[in-house]
Amino acid sequence: MSWLRELVDAPVGVDELADRLTMCGFEVGAVEPWPADPRDPESAPDAVLDLEITTNRPDCLSVLGIAREVATAWGVELRFPPAAAEPDAAGDAIAITIEDADLCPRYSGALAQVTVGPSPPWLARRLEAADVRPINNVVDVTNYVMLELGHPMHAFDLDRLAGPEIRVRRARPGETVRTLDGVDRTLEPDMLAIADAERPQAVAGIMGGAASEVGPGTRTIVLEAAWFDPISVRRTSRRLGLATDASYRFERGADVAAPPAAIRRAHRLLADIGAGTPRGALVDRFPAPPAPVEVRLRHARLGRVLGQTVDKGFVAPALARLGFEPTPAAGDDGAAWRVRVPTFRVDVRREEDLIEEIARHHGYDEIPTTFPALTRPAPPPGAWRARDRLVRRLLTGAGLSEAVTYGFVEEAAARAVHPEPGDVVALRNPLSERGAVLRPSLLPGLVDSVVHNRRRERHEVRLFEIGSRFRRGDGETPALGIAIAGAGAAAHWSASSRAADLFDLTGIIARLCSGFGLEASFEPGPAGHLVAGRRARVHVTTGDARVLLGEAGQLDPAVAAARGMPGSDPVYVAELDLRPLDLGAFDRLRAAPVPRHPSVTRDVSVEIDDALPAARVRDTIRAAAGPTLVEVVEVDRYTGSGVAAGAVSLSLRLTFRAPDRTLTDAEVQRSTDAVLQALAETHHAKQR
Amino acid sequence: MTTPSDIAGIRAAFQADLATVSSEPDLQAVRDRYLGRKRGAVAALMKQVAGAPPEARPALGKGANVLKREIEHALEERRKALRAAARPAGAVDVTLPGRVAPFGRRHPLTLIREQVESIFESWGFEILQGPQVEDDYHNFEALNMPPDHPARDMQDTFYLDGSMPGEGAPATLLRTHTSGMQIRYMERHEPPVRIIAPGLVYRRDTPDLTHSPMFMQVEGLMVDEGITMADLKGTLVGFLKAFFDPGTRVMFRPSFFPYTEPSAEVFISCVFCDGDGGDGCAVCKQTGWLEILGCGMVHPAVFEAVGYDPERYTGWAFGLGIDRVALLKYRVEDIRLFYDNDLRLLEQFPH
Repeated sequence: MSWLRELVDAPVGVDELADRLTMCGFEVGAVEPWPADPRDPESAPDAVLDLEITTNRPDCLSVLGIAREVATAWGVELRFPPAAAEPDAAGDAIAITIEDADLCPRYSGALAQVTVGPSPPWLARRLEAADVRPINNVVDVTNYVMLELGHPMHAFDLDRLAGPEIRVRRARPGETVRTLDGVDRTLEPDMLAIADAERPQAVAGIMGGAASEVGPGTRTIVLEAAWFDPISVRRTSRRLGLATDASYRFERGADVAAPPAAIRRAHRLLADIGAGTPRGALVDRFPAPPAPVEVRLRHARLGRVLGQTVDKGFVAPALARLGFEPTPAAGDDGAAWRVRVPTFRVDVRREEDLIEEIARHHGYDEIPTTFPALTRPAPPPGAWRARDRLVRRLLTGAGLSEAVTYGFVEEAAARAVHPEPGDVVALRNPLSERGAVLRPSLLPGLVDSVVHNRRRERHEVRLFEIGSRFRRGDGETPALGIAIAGAGAAAHWSASSRAADLFDLTGIIARLCSGFGLEASFEPGPAGHLVAGRRARVHVTTGDARVLLGEAGQLDPAVAAARGMPGSDPVYVAELDLRPLDLGAFDRLRAAPVPRHPSVTRDVSVEIDDALPAARVRDTIRAAAGPTLVEVVEVDRYTGSGVAAGAVSLSLRLTFRAPDRTLTDAEVQRSTDAVLQALAETHHAKQR
Repeated sequence: MTTPSDIAGIRAAFQADLATVSSEPDLQAVRDRYLGRKRGAVAALMKQVAGAPPEARPALGKGANVLKREIEHALEERRKALRAAARPAGAVDVTLPGRVAPFGRRHPLTLIREQVESIFESWGFEILQGPQVEDDYHNFEALNMPPDHPARDMQDTFYLDGSMPGEGAPATLLRTHTSGMQIRYMERHEPPVRIIAPGLVYRRDTPDLTHSPMFMQVEGLMVDEGITMADLKGTLVGFLKAFFDPGTRVMFRPSFFPYTEPSAEVFISCVFCDGDGGDGCAVCKQTGWLEILGCGMVHPAVFEAVGYDPERYTGWAFGLGIDRVALLKYRVEDIRLFYDNDLRLLEQFPH
């Protein structure tokens, strides 16, 4: 706080200041008391503001930047920290060559004679308050300037360079530099180095080299203040895995006007603390200064974006305090300003950026609240919404709870249910092996959820999930996963318990499809992750098309065990493609008349080959019975005593009805006889 | 000699016996004991009355008759009560548990999402759905985040090994927000735009109490002629009051997002301590405020990327974390619980 108050007189206490900064977009995370330094009799109790600076405001990574905001908030003057006068020595004290101006448009350097020692306590304390470790007076001054002005600096030991010469150039293939943290780093040809006549002495904008480090024996230093290309610094920092206070500022954008000012401030500080004096002139290489940025701000546009008319008299003074240079420039569209943007405001490039500056300091609280008019009716909701809602209704109604599982899974878990090599998409940078690949199926996550519940003494688990699956071939598709384990029905005192089986699962699927007006059909399936003989391929019929929906069956116990499933209790799973479940069928629905004539039922019992699929028996019956048969239901299946080995006693209830008349007994009998005859001829069935 | 005290004694004895009756046979036994013609207590009393001195007889006789009627009446009342309490033929124990057809629950994140959707749907917003695997352009570049932009650090990204089919361009990453579908929508529709884009998003955050590498987000976008930041404030205040509580207070604070300008962070009065920050509220860290969403006026660069004229159209956008809202609304302590699918948690939520 004392540092801030050196630069600006805020007429308030620290808490109010913190609140106001927060409401201007600089969140004060904490205000920490900073007790007086017992080693320094002149120190007084102080406070440290812990500020969160958004990535667009590198200028506020400094005491000066925050002081500017404070000066604007209270309309008070900003005092710049004192700098050394321009030395009048003629000629360059050091040769500086920028070889790669695309990565370094500006480089300022100057020499100083120094006596290296500890910094005075007040200076060291300010660094400590900013979590910067004091090292020696020279290094501390460069860090002090960075914290104060926001511009990173570096100091080389001149005597440890190969002559009084700095070359700013891309690294040569295979060049290495040992950085100040003691790590040898191999530079790549697109990385920018600060070299002497022979070799790199620093990674530009990131960290200096150990070979030219300022130490107790240093007598002459080269002070560096430069402007490096943000993208280059960011890429180099990432590739080297080396992020510093300097790289943090350069990659967000430093002030291209700052380098000479930073050096003069450093010179002044060295002199003030008795650490050194300038030697020779400041050398400033700035071959192509960029044109100043000017942005037009229209008063009407300001009102149109904010929904509020801001007083014209507020705009120009606020901008000026922030360092902008506004000039009135009214045009056909009313009051306006031509605003020159200061070089430290790398974030301001167009009118909206200035509108935000005004809104921040005028106050978001001042903006009214209005409700936008509806200018057009909303289009009808997407079909997927009705579909997903109906799936949820039908499945929760069938006793299944909804799960949400991660979109990435362990590779082995993915391959266990989706063995097609090359179809599983891996992540390049997973957090861990547990999430190494995108899920090609919803089953791995659901199985893990079953295991999670089973390990917590929960026997009955019935879950479903609606979500995306990802395959290199098909891309991302919407799917439904189902997993059930435990009892087939809730335990009740009136009935004995029954374990869930495949028919619970196929029943849920049939119910789901039926809810969409579709009929599910099941046939023996090939899925390798399901138990042979207890796995089905599911189709639905829409119109004339028979569409594959997915696979259902008992999960291979080895797959469940690999996921940590306790015990050997079966788990039944299904994964279905959601796309064929389309409520469009109901848009085309034309209700059939309610039957006017009574129906007649007949039960038939036959002994028939046990291996014969029920679906084929039904098909035979439907074909033989004629159009008056409206329903076939299997009411009993029995094997055992009284039934031949390999055969099953099957009882079926047939319902007949005609839309235009009451069927006679004789008609129904003819149809029933035809059914029995067809069963006998086609399947060698015997009537019982 | 029969005296009035005998009558009182019989009455008291009868009442004690009657109190022990719990069935019709019990009742018959008591009737026999007191009203039996031969050995009943009342019959014995009557005999004593007959043998009493003539001057005492009328009073004693009257007393004995009163007692008899009392007993008859009490027995009849008791008989009625016993009959009324008896189980009729075919009776069952109605306190046994009924057969509850099983039903499951919707996931808490679905519940919150549907509530958010229905509020905005009632305001004429369209609900979008889009892919979770995205291309760099729709996730970043079209949103004013060119390659090497430092703001990309704010959303650490999962990248695919290679690519897979996407919507249009091949997908190379997991979306870090649902903004990509808003870009696509604007590419395909002219304003006015009123859309809500909910969905799962991914950020490479190490899981902890409040971070999950996958979470659910809903973003909103409105674009038209004359849309203002005041409209943004009005819509979000309306939404937050409708969603949380009509008494909720809302604060807008300047912030930064590459795709909005001006940008704001929105806070609501703490739902735990009602915004007074007192009693050491750990949720709002005693500030009284909870950060709930980010928003702002759509950056003109985003309009330019989708071919809208930024001079003609203005718009606002916001992004809200469904998980965060669910944590606050249901007071769940750990975001990771939403992805464990522990039925002990899920079954606390409605059908």
